[in-house]
Amino acid sequence: MNIRVPVSWLREYLKTDLAAKTIANYLSASGPSVERIQKSATDYIFDIEVTGNRPDALSVFGIAREANAILTNENQNSQLVAPSGLKLELEPDISNPLNLEVIIKNHSLCPRFAAICLDNVKIAPSPAFIRNRLSASGIRAINNIVDITNYVMLELGQPMHTFDYDKIKKARMVLRESKDGEKIRTLDGKTRKLPKDTIVIEDENRLIDLCGIMGGQNSEISRRTKRVVLFVQAYDSTRVKKTAQLLAFRTEAAARFEKGVDLEGIIPALSRAVYLAQKTASAKIASELTDIVHAETKREIITLNMTKLNDYCGTEIPKDQAAKILGLLGFGTKITPQTIAATPPGWRANDVQNDVDLIEEIARIYGYWRLPAKLPSGQIPQGAESELAKVIELKKAIKYLGLTEIISYSIISEDFLKLTGVKMEDTVELANPLTSDWQFMRPTILVSLTDIIAKNQNLASEIKIFEVAKTYLSQENDLPKQDLMLGITLQNADFYGIKGLVENIFGVLQRDVKFEKLSNYSSELFDKSQSARVKTANTEVGTVGILNSKITDYFQIEGQIAACELNLSIIYGLSAIQRSYQPIPKYPPRVEDISAIFSKKVPVTDIISEVKRSNELVKKIEVVDIFLGQNLGEGKKSVTLRLTYQNQAGTPTATEVKQAKDKIIDVLSKSFAAIVRR
Amino acid sequence: MDTQIKKVLELARAKINSAKVVKDLDQAYIEIFGKDGLMTVLTKQLSNLPQKDRPKTGTLINQLKKEIEERLKKKRSSLTARRSLPSIDITAPGKKQEIGHLHLVSQAIEETVKIFSRLGFSLQSYPEVDWDWYAFGSLNMPKNHPARDDWETFFVKSEINPKYGSQVLTPHTSNGQVREMERVKIPPVRMLNISRCYRRQIDVSHTPMFHQFEGLLIDEDVSISHLKGTFDYFTTNFFGPSRTTRLRPHHFRFTEPSFEVDVTCGVCQGLGCRLCKAGWLELGGAGMVHPKVLSAGEIDPTRYKGFAFGWGIERTIAMKTNIPDIRFFYQNDIRFLEQF
Repeated sequence: MNIRVPVSWLREYLKTDLAAKTIANYLSASGPSVERIQKSATDYIFDIEVTGNRPDALSVFGIAREANAILTNENQNSQLVAPSGLKLELEPDISNPLNLEVIIKNHSLCPRFAAICLDNVKIAPSPAFIRNRLSASGIRAINNIVDITNYVMLELGQPMHTFDYDKIKKARMVLRESKDGEKIRTLDGKTRKLPKDTIVIEDENRLIDLCGIMGGQNSEISRRTKRVVLFVQAYDSTRVKKTAQLLAFRTEAAARFEKGVDLEGIIPALSRAVYLAQKTASAKIASELTDIVHAETKREIITLNMTKLNDYCGTEIPKDQAAKILGLLGFGTKITPQTIAATPPGWRANDVQNDVDLIEEIARIYGYWRLPAKLPSGQIPQGAESELAKVIELKKAIKYLGLTEIISYSIISEDFLKLTGVKMEDTVELANPLTSDWQFMRPTILVSLTDIIAKNQNLASEIKIFEVAKTYLSQENDLPKQDLMLGITLQNADFYGIKGLVENIFGVLQRDVKFEKLSNYSSELFDKSQSARVKTANTEVGTVGILNSKITDYFQIEGQIAACELNLSIIYGLSAIQRSYQPIPKYPPRVEDISAIFSKKVPVTDIISEVKRSNELVKKIEVVDIFLGQNLGEGKKSVTLRLTYQNQAGTPTATEVKQAKDKIIDVLSKSFAAIVRR
Repeated sequence: MDTQIKKVLELARAKINSAKVVKDLDQAYIEIFGKDGLMTVLTKQLSNLPQKDRPKTGTLINQLKKEIEERLKKKRSSLTARRSLPSIDITAPGKKQEIGHLHLVSQAIEETVKIFSRLGFSLQSYPEVDWDWYAFGSLNMPKNHPARDDWETFFVKSEINPKYGSQVLTPHTSNGQVREMERVKIPPVRMLNISRCYRRQIDVSHTPMFHQFEGLLIDEDVSISHLKGTFDYFTTNFFGPSRTTRLRPHHFRFTEPSFEVDVTCGVCQGLGCRLCKAGWLELGGAGMVHPKVLSAGEIDPTRYKGFAFGWGIERTIAMKTNIPDIRFFYQNDIRFLEQF
């Protein structure tokens, strides 16, 4: 949370002659960060980020306290001056004190409840310095009494509220949890339906306060108000936070209550407010102080070993200086030869609980910039990297094969999910999606890739893109299966284009690859007639082919999309081919082509494996041409193979080659009824 | 025998002369000198001759061999001789091989991993959909911590595990911390975890999915000084030697002390400008691993200490490339992707 602090106001408590910018630099380096310095006509305003653990610094005085500790440690001239009235005597000024009945139904809602009544109040505009400071801090001035509550909240960090005493029926306040369906009209004029178990105050029969967030309109201070209840509390921070969230209504007060206020700061804050009311609204104290204490600040003595401090800092910090820093921050300290025993001040008791917390306090004020910088000196761990290290190399290889990497959201819409054909029970669905566009964790990358081609299809005609990402499939009683996939889509490419690319990629992966026709088809993404299962080491690792028209129609894509999706988690789990030296043939080979006519149904891989099996002299078989022509006859194709005959002992003789070739022709005609073209 | 020699010469000459390309010549060579080539057959016949005739015929065969080799060589030279080239316009475009592009995020990841791997950090991979325990509980985050709100973090529709809680989309890579401690068991630990992360927000500087980068080092002798040294090393290598870093106090539940790490602004060189905060740009968060987190990972906090750091990859890229809107990264317009 950020707060705005006018520097002139800060200087009321921080007595130093340093320039605003210098103060800001010191604060940023060792305390809450000054993110911006805004210049106004007569002043500077610090915009300060205060972290969630430091509600004590959500105030002008809190910042002054921090700055004073830092500046004093730096031997800069600085002094902290507390606001007046913190220790005011809270005795009634009138002989007939007003009565206020307070009933707290559940003490866990309100660890401390303080209130006091004021009489003789003259409602008027606040003095200029209060109005100016409020407006510089981003709060609108209303009248002297209401302004005091805001002023003290900004000054000391303790939110407070005032009621018109005469508007509280029967002078009775019951603090309780709200029931289902209760409503309150708050000071901003809005009627709010309260979630159950919100902390509220009721008078005789009406809700008069939405506790910790905003007061009720029915009991607000008006121009005619004479008697006032000043009201300072601590609340169960979790409840305030929950209500503020459910109502989407987070006021300055709520933001502070949510983080917890200093229980010991409640009475000083109330005193300060009374003091200001006396000064600016001629108020008189008209009741005894109501102070119902349910919980007190827990404080433990924390012992810090000096060796540990120095080990953390990487340098030696003098013990006296360490103790002095803690003292400047309000800690009580006791020094022994080896240790410092420290007791946190009330405003830090929730935050500082063990010796490491003390180390942080000392180190930051000592100055992180003073600590030496050195590289870690220990041993470098043994052991393997994850597959992700290899993925970086793979991505680069694919880039050099001419493809462009994209990264798309892993969360997809229900429409996209339906295209995948994955069963609902296998999907991973978000319980709290941001919008319906992002509702399911995707089980495949291919839909997103197709979407991207569709979005870019007017810009190019041969878009080639890929993505490496995890996909998600639910598993019973366990986290979803989250395998790393490689998805590729090629606009206007054919089956052999994508297949060749997959073969290239397996070359990069140093693994063999096989393609098998899918008999029992399982993927809804691919067209049945032009797709294949991809296998390596006899394990199925993906699918390749032309995307189904269902998906391309959905995205209104002209032309076809060739795609593949490979499971890298499985592939990297299988060992790569270890290459060993093969002697280079001493004698040149003989190379001859052979063409034959087959039935269209005969797969080329079967032809190749038959040829390979028939003869040892054939060392290499390449398919150089596949031709489908009407003159071949119905259902026929011509396949031309380039055969390399080779022998370690010498170039095969014409006779050896002829014998081998005859055998091949024989095998082909017997196995496939092929007719060899001569 | 003489006639045979003459015949071989004739046949060989015919073969050599008819060669049109180098490959034909290679074939001719095989047919002449190969296993059952003309010369091989001829030479074999030498042993059939009477002893006295052999030296003479041998000499003739040798001469023949030399002559054929000479002819082969000549022919080869004539086939491979360079023709003179016509003059061309060398300013006309070349024929390029098609090369694609890596996504900016991948480029930054690669660069980052390279720098840290020189310091012995190794890349590990942990789930993106993880248990509440690893994402929050083990990281010293109380039940009511804002990050555990369903306003900030995505939850998965699933049964709640009695030990590990609900399933969440990791809002940071810190879920890798305790998982890495469990994997390694006995320090030293030097881990990098780079992963997609998810938060329920979208605006100019936030996308619901982004990439985070996490480093974790655990050892016996580890101090804030080592964290500073590591950051200086990274900054010099990633942003350049003119940039420096600073630590500012901050607060994270899983580190104590906690820091925000700033790097000097590259635009104004630390003097202060429109893009930075008084000369500094926020790089990321860091801190000394909280003793409770070490305990959650079953590492003895009285013996070991550690530091952890992390930042959003997109932010660091935006800092380097002046990309004004982080959402560009995931719109996947090819005109954007092809710029890098």
